[in-house]
Amino acid sequence: MKKSILKILLNIFFVILCIVILLPLFWIILNSLKTNQELFVNSLAMPKKLQFINYVKAWEMGLYKYFGNSILVSSVSLVFILALSSFLAYGLTRFNTKGSAVILIFVLGGMALSEQVALVPLYKILKAIHIYDTYFAVILPYIAFRIPFTVFLMRSFFISIPTELEEAAVIDGYNSLQIFTKIIIPITKPTFASCAIVNLNFVWNEFLFANVFLNNKKLQTIPIGLVTFKGDLRIDYTATLAGLVIASLPLIILFLCMSKQFVRGLTAGAVKG
Amino acid sequence: MRTKKTTPYLYMLPGVFMVLVFVYIPVIFNFVYSFFRLSSYSAGKTFVGFDNYRRFFSDDIFPIMLKNNFLYCIISLIVQVGFGTIVALLLESKLAVKFKNVYRNIYYLPALISITAVGLMFTFIYEPNMGFINSVLKVFDLPTRSWLGDSKLAIYCIIAMSQWQFTGYITLLMVVAFQNISTDYIEAAEIDGAGPIRRALNIQLPLAKEQLLVCIIITVIGAFKLYTEVYATTSGGPGNSSQVLGLYLYQQAFLHDDLGMAAVAGVFIFAITVVLSIIQIKITGSGKD
Amino acid sequence: MKKSYLRRALVFILAGTMALSLMGCGGEKESPSRDTSKEATSGEKTSNEETKKEATTGEQKVIKFMHRFPDEPYNSFIEGKLHEYEASHPDIKFKITSAQNQEYKEKIKVVVGGEDTPDIFFSWVGDFTYRFIRENLILDLTPYFEADPEWKDSLIESQMKQYTTEDGMIYGVPFRLDCKLFFYNADIFEQNDLKVPTTFDELIDVCEKLKAAGITPISFGNMEPWSASHYIGTLNQICVPDDVREKDYKPTSGEFTHPGYVEALEYYQKLLPYMTENPNGVKPDMGRTTFAMGNAGMYYAELIEIPYIKMENPDMKFGMFKFPEIVGAEGNQDILTGVPEGFVVSSKTKYPDECVEFLKWFLGKEVGTEQCQEIGWFNAAKGTTEGLTDQALLDGYNVIMESKAMGAWLDNALYSTVVDEYLTAVSDLTNGDITPKKVMARIQKKAVEAQTLVGAGSTK
Repeated sequence: MKKSILKILLNIFFVILCIVILLPLFWIILNSLKTNQELFVNSLAMPKKLQFINYVKAWEMGLYKYFGNSILVSSVSLVFILALSSFLAYGLTRFNTKGSAVILIFVLGGMALSEQVALVPLYKILKAIHIYDTYFAVILPYIAFRIPFTVFLMRSFFISIPTELEEAAVIDGYNSLQIFTKIIIPITKPTFASCAIVNLNFVWNEFLFANVFLNNKKLQTIPIGLVTFKGDLRIDYTATLAGLVIASLPLIILFLCMSKQFVRGLTAGAVKG
Repeated sequence: MRTKKTTPYLYMLPGVFMVLVFVYIPVIFNFVYSFFRLSSYSAGKTFVGFDNYRRFFSDDIFPIMLKNNFLYCIISLIVQVGFGTIVALLLESKLAVKFKNVYRNIYYLPALISITAVGLMFTFIYEPNMGFINSVLKVFDLPTRSWLGDSKLAIYCIIAMSQWQFTGYITLLMVVAFQNISTDYIEAAEIDGAGPIRRALNIQLPLAKEQLLVCIIITVIGAFKLYTEVYATTSGGPGNSSQVLGLYLYQQAFLHDDLGMAAVAGVFIFAITVVLSIIQIKITGSGKD
Repeated sequence: MKKSYLRRALVFILAGTMALSLMGCGGEKESPSRDTSKEATSGEKTSNEETKKEATTGEQKVIKFMHRFPDEPYNSFIEGKLHEYEASHPDIKFKITSAQNQEYKEKIKVVVGGEDTPDIFFSWVGDFTYRFIRENLILDLTPYFEADPEWKDSLIESQMKQYTTEDGMIYGVPFRLDCKLFFYNADIFEQNDLKVPTTFDELIDVCEKLKAAGITPISFGNMEPWSASHYIGTLNQICVPDDVREKDYKPTSGEFTHPGYVEALEYYQKLLPYMTENPNGVKPDMGRTTFAMGNAGMYYAELIEIPYIKMENPDMKFGMFKFPEIVGAEGNQDILTGVPEGFVVSSKTKYPDECVEFLKWFLGKEVGTEQCQEIGWFNAAKGTTEGLTDQALLDGYNVIMESKAMGAWLDNALYSTVVDEYLTAVSDLTNGDITPKKVMARIQKKAVEAQTLVGAGSTK
């Protein structure tokens, strides 16, 4: 009896949390379907007619461009972050190398260095090597700034892999790269997945570098694109809201469709085996 | 292993190179810049010694920024990490709630929205005349505030917005950490007569320690790098009441063309994040397994 | 064997990096125009042909153009004109970038002075541009004017004076004329039997009557703090003698000790009870929209907001009056707050003559006439009002023409750290967190500091 009361209470708690999370979003969507006048008069009321034209307007202002850029920048960055970090962690942990302690401290120390500290000099460096206002102005710094943390995560995982696996592979004639790809990577898939998620969250949302290093509208990623977009639409508030909805939907839909794989990727059931 | 001596170095080279060129070198330059007066468009630079530091620490804004960043840090630790972990524990508790995955997914959704989008959305939500919050308050005849326009409330509004956005993110990470704990441990504890709270404290949390530490680190460091949320809502206003270190740095560099002052802010942020990282790693006793 | 594999992988990665970066450099193109006029499409066709030609002759001149009007219909108008010019001048191609107000102020400082310096860019009158002039980054247009007296005569002198420094250097040409006036809702005034106020006390009276009738007297949003600075700028002009104010506004000699500055803030405080509640939480645009929707009696507006109001509420009936007189004030009541906003040319441009030629046309009479009819903004060329029927615009234009002197926007006239302090301190004042004397104390501190900051760091 007590258990079922607890269960009901728990459910109520969870539902209240859901409402807190979802209510602001519903309000945004509701108002994105109104005219500006309607928004002004009563923002809680239902629209008289669903103004899908707001969405058309927002789309035509070029939101898809920002999307494309974010996807490009994020995927390229992610690939290289994972690749370079795993190489680094591999080199650090699976060989008894001289100086690996120094290198480790060097790389982990990078974790404490925040982007803001490097902003101004990076700006000057990027200009000097002529990649300012190109995709690389953001991709290269993203990769560099995420390597320390990713190495931190991967290293603690790599260390726990027993050396017997590698020794067996060496006897079978594998070289280090093959060991890496055929043995280490499959085992560490969950760590890769969880690193990918944490880094994706960072890169997708990164604003400071994108704001300063990407001037050309054609190159801007979503965070800075939305600020530009708001400026472009200035007083067309409902269209701006529609644009915000459009900008937010894809990742949400993607997640909802793939949430099982997403979580499964994070769950390292394989490790204990 | 029969590998050439240089192989491991080759694996490490690209990563180290990137970190060296794009992280360390700029940071070192930043130290250097902090002793000069220079702007982004002037050709010359003047050596001013510690004058920039003096201006920074004696600025009236300095205590305000420090307070705001600390507030953000503490509240985020309590809400995002603390409350988020509790929710994760509840979701993963033995009272296997039917829709737990649905709940967890819903809580995570805001984290998938770009921070600038959330900031822009919340400027509408907090809008004093037709925004969501005041409209609802008016329906119930409750007093309204000007939220982002109120110097005492602005920073809290921004912090609240951030909790709304990222608590579910922490919950998700902790849920996964808890799911990775073998049920053997939990069942053993149950057999030993441990109640749900003791199980949480003695089994689940300790075994998820690594993940919890990661969550704490990213939250704390994030609190001092705070920039986007404030830029997208109040730009530090009203007055300077919601000013934070990260935004100050940006404004010094790009509004006042004072790259030296921006560099000083950078050095300060660096010092804080280093100290905090060291403290955290020491407290939890690891960085290795 | 394994080492060479690894080496190849590394080389591939680095090569790929470089290749993609080159691609990124070449990927910048001029933003496509949304203007559908015939000239634009023929312009694009011509520039396509020219691009092919360019591959062989290599003579195309790329002019980088940066403006701060990315919203419609202004963006389309500007880009349309640029394409029109490209059509008639096949050797010229524009690369256009833009950003909205606040972002523009930040971005422009990032790009000026480097190799990406725009050849032509928008810049405000006052220290905003002077800081660039001090670094020799702005092209001196005076020789061009002296060489072409016809051009000089075709522009309104009182407006051109704004873009001229003390030493006589002409550094910019106006794109849109502007001034601040009080707009009032004609219907509300009629219904409440109100007369247009001419003195400050009469204004307070009108506000009282409106408040009693349950109508917000003055709509005002200060979430972007430049909004209050327009009030303060006007009040400074009224309360502080001209010569004192001019000295203080210069970064090298700013002191701000005259009691008139405190008075100005006190007059602002007198208006606060009649303004929108909690203005610091309301965006300035929202302040205007509230007025346009008929929810307020008055609004202190810029002339260039008329097209916005028309968009927000085409049926709105409004009138305009100048900021009322403050009897006994020590300053100059004849100054009309507002200066034109226009474009400057970079001193580092490779094509100074072509840029000036373009500006002669773009900011001249022909385009100006189309401009005020299409988007409701006037440029500084004489005689652009032919054929304009909008009475409100014409009235506003006449106010500018008849004014004896103009006053620069406070938030661009002063040195940036002093501006920042003014804006944040007035923002605090608006919330009632600070007294006028305290505000001026903070500003005095920054002004003194600015005196030292201005000299250092320059190439002199």
